[in-house]
Amino acid sequence: MSSCGNPNVEADALMDRKPKFDRSKVCVKCKTNPGHIVIRHAVYCRDCFFPLVTSKFRKVLTPVINENAAPGLRIRSLRAAGNLTVGFSGGSASTVLLDLVAQNYLQLDSEASTKGGKDHPRKYEVIWPEANLCYVEISNAFQGMRDRTEEIRQVVNKYDAFKFVPLRIEDAFDPDWWSKFGYRPLASELELGLSCDTTTDDIFVSHSQSSSNSTPVSRLRAFLSSLPTQTAILSSVQAIVRVLLLSMARATGSSHLVLGTTLSSLSISLISGIAQGGGFTVREEVQEEWSPAAVEGDQSGVRKGSVRVVRPLRDIGIKECAAWAWWAKLKVVGREKIPHANQGIGALTKDFIVGLERDYPSTVSTIARTCGKLAPKDTSRLRCVLCQRPAQPGVQEWKSRISLRSFTETADHIQLLADAESKPARLALAPALCYACHTTLTSRSSRGVAANQRNDASLNQTSVPLPVWIAPFLKDFTRHDHVDGSSSDVVSSGEEVFRSRKLTTDDMRKEIGEFLIEEQAM
Amino acid sequence: MAPRTCMLCDKNRAMLKRPKTGQQICKDCFFVVFETEVHNTITESELFKPGDRVAIGASGGKDSTVLAYVMKTLNERYKYGLNLFLLSIDEGITGYRDDSLETVKRNQQQYDMPLKILSYDELYGWTMDAIVDQVGRKNNCTFCGVFRRQALDRGAAMLGVDHIVTGHNADDIAETVLMNIMRGDIARLGRCTSICTQGEDTIKRSKPFKYAYEKEIVMYAYFKKLDYFSTECIYSPDAYRGHARVFLKDLEAARPSAIIDIIHSGEAFEIRDEVKATQKSQQVCKRCGYMSSNELCKACTLLEGLERGMASAGITDRGRKKLEAEGPAPDNLRTIPFYKPPSASPTVAVE
Repeated sequence: MSSCGNPNVEADALMDRKPKFDRSKVCVKCKTNPGHIVIRHAVYCRDCFFPLVTSKFRKVLTPVINENAAPGLRIRSLRAAGNLTVGFSGGSASTVLLDLVAQNYLQLDSEASTKGGKDHPRKYEVIWPEANLCYVEISNAFQGMRDRTEEIRQVVNKYDAFKFVPLRIEDAFDPDWWSKFGYRPLASELELGLSCDTTTDDIFVSHSQSSSNSTPVSRLRAFLSSLPTQTAILSSVQAIVRVLLLSMARATGSSHLVLGTTLSSLSISLISGIAQGGGFTVREEVQEEWSPAAVEGDQSGVRKGSVRVVRPLRDIGIKECAAWAWWAKLKVVGREKIPHANQGIGALTKDFIVGLERDYPSTVSTIARTCGKLAPKDTSRLRCVLCQRPAQPGVQEWKSRISLRSFTETADHIQLLADAESKPARLALAPALCYACHTTLTSRSSRGVAANQRNDASLNQTSVPLPVWIAPFLKDFTRHDHVDGSSSDVVSSGEEVFRSRKLTTDDMRKEIGEFLIEEQAM
Repeated sequence: MAPRTCMLCDKNRAMLKRPKTGQQICKDCFFVVFETEVHNTITESELFKPGDRVAIGASGGKDSTVLAYVMKTLNERYKYGLNLFLLSIDEGITGYRDDSLETVKRNQQQYDMPLKILSYDELYGWTMDAIVDQVGRKNNCTFCGVFRRQALDRGAAMLGVDHIVTGHNADDIAETVLMNIMRGDIARLGRCTSICTQGEDTIKRSKPFKYAYEKEIVMYAYFKKLDYFSTECIYSPDAYRGHARVFLKDLEAARPSAIIDIIHSGEAFEIRDEVKATQKSQQVCKRCGYMSSNELCKACTLLEGLERGMASAGITDRGRKKLEAEGPAPDNLRTIPFYKPPSASPTVAVE
């Protein structure tokens, strides 16, 4: 239906490029110095740039430190409920974040405290008793990547206030690592059964029979290589890193996890998330409250002991971060390029937004502001076992209604299956996943990494290990055989009963009864 | 290599790979799943009730041609009990609509549906050719879009129909979700994934192809041998939409489900209540009676600008202020006829 212009073929289809700055080359703030940087059409000098970025940073972080941190309240009353964890990637934004957090909230030297007024930020009480810097090394996920843990350690060692907590992505598949946080390992690990049958989107979990000799790295790689698209691999890496950071934040008694998401990267992750079906969690992309058990908070969703994820650079663009790092002479370790990452939706979105930002500098802020005005349509108590974010129920029904994949109409098509004789017990995982994670595990592409092997008719099902944290959420399934022989529940949560049903013709007929004139006449 | 058999019926030779699911299926099964999915969309949303008078917005392009065929098929197969009409808008673009209107006229014969063609010239006294002569190519999509929406409603009111169905497909909707986010149009973002929209006294509008991939619509037309005209508008400098479309095609190539995933995202969120409260309330245009968020509806503002030689009045704030500074509209200003909501009986004869 759409019939408007295509900029690739029509020169007229492109709008005129706007000038880089509005008025003069003089700083808009002090109006005396020549400008050094253009931020969305406005020119700033170097002296004014630093306070500008600092104020944008503090404006986001300060109000969310505790419940009393409302605007206008005395700044000295700030005291967080727990410790601080900084999620660090080695990129320029997280390097700047580290610098800003250290300068504004952690460095309390005695000389500085004699300067300034009584409410000056230098006179803060200790806001967070401890500050940890968490870095997740992902080099073992892919071939040929460099381990940068030691380089990161050197950067962090320059800041006395931070304790370095290195993690590795394979920890997600290491039961010993998780047992440190109170997760009780199972006698056998869970594995994911991905059906290669394109007539269904069924995903099952079952007890693994053969993975006792495998290492966390091999399990991680088996999991990633089983995913059907590059997009799925990259999204899964992000999800694993996120859950590891959250779990470590919780384990270190942190009330806050701060991440170096800039305005640019926030816009990219918002659009990329929406393009992967994550519209229900658009709010969590900006800020979220997380606790490992099922979501049982008050109306605001805040749960005691939860970790608040804050992105204090969300009003600061990537260009400003790069300028800060350059002018402040910060050492940026940089991020390793993930092989074939450019084929994923995340990379495509990044190219698109960065390209658009060049011609329309307000784009990223418009995207972030627009998404900030959105809320999930329904409330849901269900939480995705994989990404640990709120999930809508009925994902599979929705998908099967709009994309018919089979003419067979089995009443209880998606259900708990237990075939004690020939197969290990299996549990349908799909109803415990959010839309985006379900899509990650099932959506195929003709150019996908695993497409060819999945289309091989000889393979009826591929079985791959699952991250360890998923097990406690599948309560009904995991209440048996712990290594210690007990049979109690793994966690007190997991109220969800994962059972759903595909609509039959009769169900559909009931729904359309008013349209069926013959039936009405009868 | 032996030919693959259809993954659905396991009988016939697979003739195509479904863009939506990647399944290799035969032609007959494709027709069945495509039509059933549209039927599911219609029944799940309870779009119609028996006896409804429904106008199909027909442009002669692929979407509306397939929509007319599928609506007629489903109406007969599932006994919806609908009275179907074809409604076409002639924008007055030389060489653009001529062929496609011929397609619509042929559809009228083939499907035995009454047809009403309403022209911009008849309704507004301006063709798009004349508008482009005055405003140039830069903002003409604004005029065309606003005028078309109102023209469809007015044409539907003349036919006395309760409902207009349009051929907007899944690609169009996904593209619109992205566009509205990128340009911050929160009001449209809130409603663009709704299958059915209805103002206080306007006619219902629905998109039965909401979940149908553009490629599958083309495929359907191809296998059913439906002829249509694929004509790109010659006045189309909407750069932003062009960017969004190219991006969407890239996403679809990376993962075909991206189109449906974006629509699912759009359905999963809504505008926060406190933001909703700041939105303008709906009122009626004091000049033409059509729904409006200001005293004058957008079409009347645009038309007044054209008539008074200040076409930018309906596009920019500066243009509007300039128009206001010129004084009130003259009494003899050409205006759009007053809008009468649909009545049970048509007010015009159909072809």
